[in-house]
Amino acid sequence: MLKRTDYLTRTYGKPEGWKLAAYEREYGGYQVAKRLLTTMSREQVVDEAKKANIRGRGGAGFPMGVKWSFMPKVVGAKPHYLVVNADEGEPGTHKDRTLMELNPHAVVEGCIIACYAIGAHVAYIYVRDELHLSKTRLWGAISEAKARGFLGKAPFGKDWEVEVYVHSGAGAYICGEETSMLNSIEGRRGEPRMKPPFPANAGAFGCPTTVNNLETIASVPAAFGLGCDEWSKLSALHTIGDGGVRLYGINGHVKKPGVVELAVGPTFNELIHDIGGGVLGDKAIMCVIPGGSSTPVLRPSETVNAPDPKSPMHPHHGKSVFDVPLGVETMRQCGTMLGTCCVTVIAEGTDPVWCMQNLMQFYGHESCGQCTPCREGSAWLHLVCTKLLDGEATKEELDSLHDIANGIMGNTICAFGEGTAMPALAFLQKFRPEFEAYVKGARKRADAKLTVEPWS
Amino acid sequence: MPTFKLDGKTIPFEPGDSIIKAAERQGVEIPHYCWHPGLSSPANCRMCLVELVPKPGQRPMMLDVLELDEATGQYRPAQKPKLQPACYTPAAEGLEVLSDTSPHVTQARHDVQERLLLNHPVDCPICDQSGECKLQDYWLEHDKSGKRMRDEPVHKSKGVEFGPTIVYDGERCVMCTRCIRFMAEVAKDPVLDMRERGNLNEITVGPGRQLDGHYTFMTEHVCPVGALTTKDFRFKARVWFLRTAASLCQGCATGCNAHLDYDPRYNKAYRFRPRDNEQVNKYWMCDEGMLSYREAHDGRVLEASVRGKPASVSEALAAAKDLFAGVAKESVAIVLGAQHSLEDNWALRELGTVLMDSRHVYVSGRPDGYEDTILVHRDKNSNTQGVKTLAPGARPLSALLGDVASGAVTHVIALGGAAPVDAGDLEDAKLVVVAAHEGPLTKLATVVLPATSWAEHAGTYVNARGLKQVAEAALEPLGSSRTAWSLVAALASALGYQPSWSKLRQIRAQLTAPTAADAPAAAALAE
Ligand code: SF4
Ligand code: SF4
Ligand code: FES
Repeated sequence: MLKRTDYLTRTYGKPEGWKLAAYEREYGGYQVAKRLLTTMSREQVVDEAKKANIRGRGGAGFPMGVKWSFMPKVVGAKPHYLVVNADEGEPGTHKDRTLMELNPHAVVEGCIIACYAIGAHVAYIYVRDELHLSKTRLWGAISEAKARGFLGKAPFGKDWEVEVYVHSGAGAYICGEETSMLNSIEGRRGEPRMKPPFPANAGAFGCPTTVNNLETIASVPAAFGLGCDEWSKLSALHTIGDGGVRLYGINGHVKKPGVVELAVGPTFNELIHDIGGGVLGDKAIMCVIPGGSSTPVLRPSETVNAPDPKSPMHPHHGKSVFDVPLGVETMRQCGTMLGTCCVTVIAEGTDPVWCMQNLMQFYGHESCGQCTPCREGSAWLHLVCTKLLDGEATKEELDSLHDIANGIMGNTICAFGEGTAMPALAFLQKFRPEFEAYVKGARKRADAKLTVEPWS
Repeated sequence: MPTFKLDGKTIPFEPGDSIIKAAERQGVEIPHYCWHPGLSSPANCRMCLVELVPKPGQRPMMLDVLELDEATGQYRPAQKPKLQPACYTPAAEGLEVLSDTSPHVTQARHDVQERLLLNHPVDCPICDQSGECKLQDYWLEHDKSGKRMRDEPVHKSKGVEFGPTIVYDGERCVMCTRCIRFMAEVAKDPVLDMRERGNLNEITVGPGRQLDGHYTFMTEHVCPVGALTTKDFRFKARVWFLRTAASLCQGCATGCNAHLDYDPRYNKAYRFRPRDNEQVNKYWMCDEGMLSYREAHDGRVLEASVRGKPASVSEALAAAKDLFAGVAKESVAIVLGAQHSLEDNWALRELGTVLMDSRHVYVSGRPDGYEDTILVHRDKNSNTQGVKTLAPGARPLSALLGDVASGAVTHVIALGGAAPVDAGDLEDAKLVVVAAHEGPLTKLATVVLPATSWAEHAGTYVNARGLKQVAEAALEPLGSSRTAWSLVAALASALGYQPSWSKLRQIRAQLTAPTAADAPAAAALAE
């Protein structure tokens, strides 16, 4: 169900909407943080946060409140840290950027509340290197908040020091992986760490750390402002633990690409047609990438198979996957992932082999290279796809692609491995005839398209 | 002791053990590249993946993959369990681990092995690691498939001089980071790191630095493949022609356990390699020690001499007899050698204090030098403690100089050529030296007898911590050298005494029977 909201985006498009004055006008400005810090205990904030059912907005969809509760109850010898993930390097995903540029005070207020809840005094917002305006706006918001005493030694007079810093990445996609980000913040090479230990036990500088996506943190003041229960109920999926509103992105072959705020639970069809204005050239849809290029593609012909009345998917039994409300659990049941829910639409007429080659080029280039299956496998996938496109691959090479991806799946240090293997396997499974056509010489690179009219 | 099951076999473990470590202790190998018992576990090579059987009532974590139906040309969904690295996963009571018996593990090992060779130059014929390379061994054990990728492999830096001792070949590197971790964790000098990303990455030396210091050879030693080679050993030998002896480094009083690799065809030593011993050197040796294998050949006394002129051993013994003719026993001194074995020193002590009834006992050796807190000991002699146990009252060489100057001592028999102080004043004494290596004392001696070095005879040494250890013989005696203890016996006969020993085992029986404190050393020897 399509329900437009403005809990996160009220300042978007307003004159100087990123300034404190606008934040105060539109949201009351830090009143939520003030109320929480001055009237509630840490534990109460965490318990309340759980009720909001905010599923991590970075892609994995882990419930935010539960993650907060993993932090040690008592701050011991080691300080706690909050790390806010704004690396946003996933192809097709650019939602966090809008928050940083257009509503940075929501991020800073979210940091204050989260720091208090997890027992931290310092938050690092790790921003992708290229997002210069985002960094500037965040720093601007931080200094405005500091000048008013919302940050610093005693925010709102409460004896709970909070400082927020913006930390610039150095241009590596893998630093969006939480442990890699921690290494990067520490000044080390951006490589994922083995887990356990999990960040809540040993994160930044070996200290207990919570890593939350930037949109997750920006949602916190709004959720508490409304009441976490109420907030959760805004969602069409709150009964299955997926609450609130979030930013949905729509891009690829649609007429009006962009980022919108909606209550959780729109369908692909609603996003594509009602928000995206339909497919470019009014073409049919070949497939969609649900959000973030690591999520397996879905084709419009796919239907939900949930004959069991007890299944949470049963209400959608027999429907097209394009008519299923987009949520963490529902997409999992459809054999893909909600991810960042920044949907990439790929119109009929696009070449799926080129699509996969394009993605594999990205993953081959971005693998940190520490573990063997991913380092060698991702680059090998790219190589074979490129040869296919160039008409140079043999049948044996085509038939090795799934084997290479299988060899990455589950065998790596971090989820980047699955993030490479899953989309590769989905493209193969769903477009095998097109791949074979390249081996047989029936398809050629010269005829292949990645874009459609009117720009192709 | 708690236990877990590995392919049905019961494996006891100590708290803190990883699966791989506990298995290794029981002699069960789980294939690995990046894991090293002396370093942290980054779990990056993924060669050691194993399957953990879920506990009753626990659902296994399954992953969706695809299979290709060759007949129809269609993909079929399939599932496989999530495997875990044995090098990182802690051993736990009741755990059931599948290694060689899991088809998923077999597949994963094959995959990792194939991927590691994907961009490898396979230049084994010109690689020094060939014959002792994990890539070769594991290909045979876990891969055995032909190369599927027919394209030009990725090219990387080759022949990079990391420093004065080590050369790097990026194309052979499997990125296990053992070298990086060794420098950071053991040498405490984090001078190596990785640069670039994906399959372009390679090991690099920190800007403005080179790989230097006292532990550079260990980077080559931990490298499981031929990516790091030492300038010293590069292109010198094929390892399959080498034999090895369980030896001991003679470089300092730490007494690091070492393999002495030699080619029996040329009777030549080629290198030292650390021999693991938790009690002494763990898995490591220092650079100076690693290069000290050369002393099997360098600076040796290989022929007898009399007054600086070459002589046969019997001529030299006759000259010694003349030199010592009619000397009073009060004027005779012996100088034990801290660089020679317990057996050699026992023989000289026997000649000096029992047969000749002399009361003048001294000890000599190399002067003190550089030390660190990792391995290197200030005392540069391998057997100072051994001499101390044999002759607790032995006085330093400087005392002998005084006694010679005062005329209290006129005749000296010394073991070893080294001297910790300027020994020029010994010119005034009649000096017979039995030595394996040249040194100040052999220069001053009237008669020099050529002894075998540690590389050519079995000998016992006591390290600074009192551990008694045995070095095996590797080489045949070089030149005219003979064991020092037999030369001392011959000297005793020449001087008119009746030596009580003619066999090594007679001496060993005389040396005190091993005490409880020696037990770890015995265990180390058994290895
Ligand atoms: S899976 Fe890929 S990105 Fe993740 S640690 Fe391994 S090599 Fe690096
Ligand atoms: S040089 Fe050797 S030890 Fe270092 S990472 Fe490469 S393979 Fe491993
Ligand atoms: S030995 Fe390399 S991952 Fe375990």
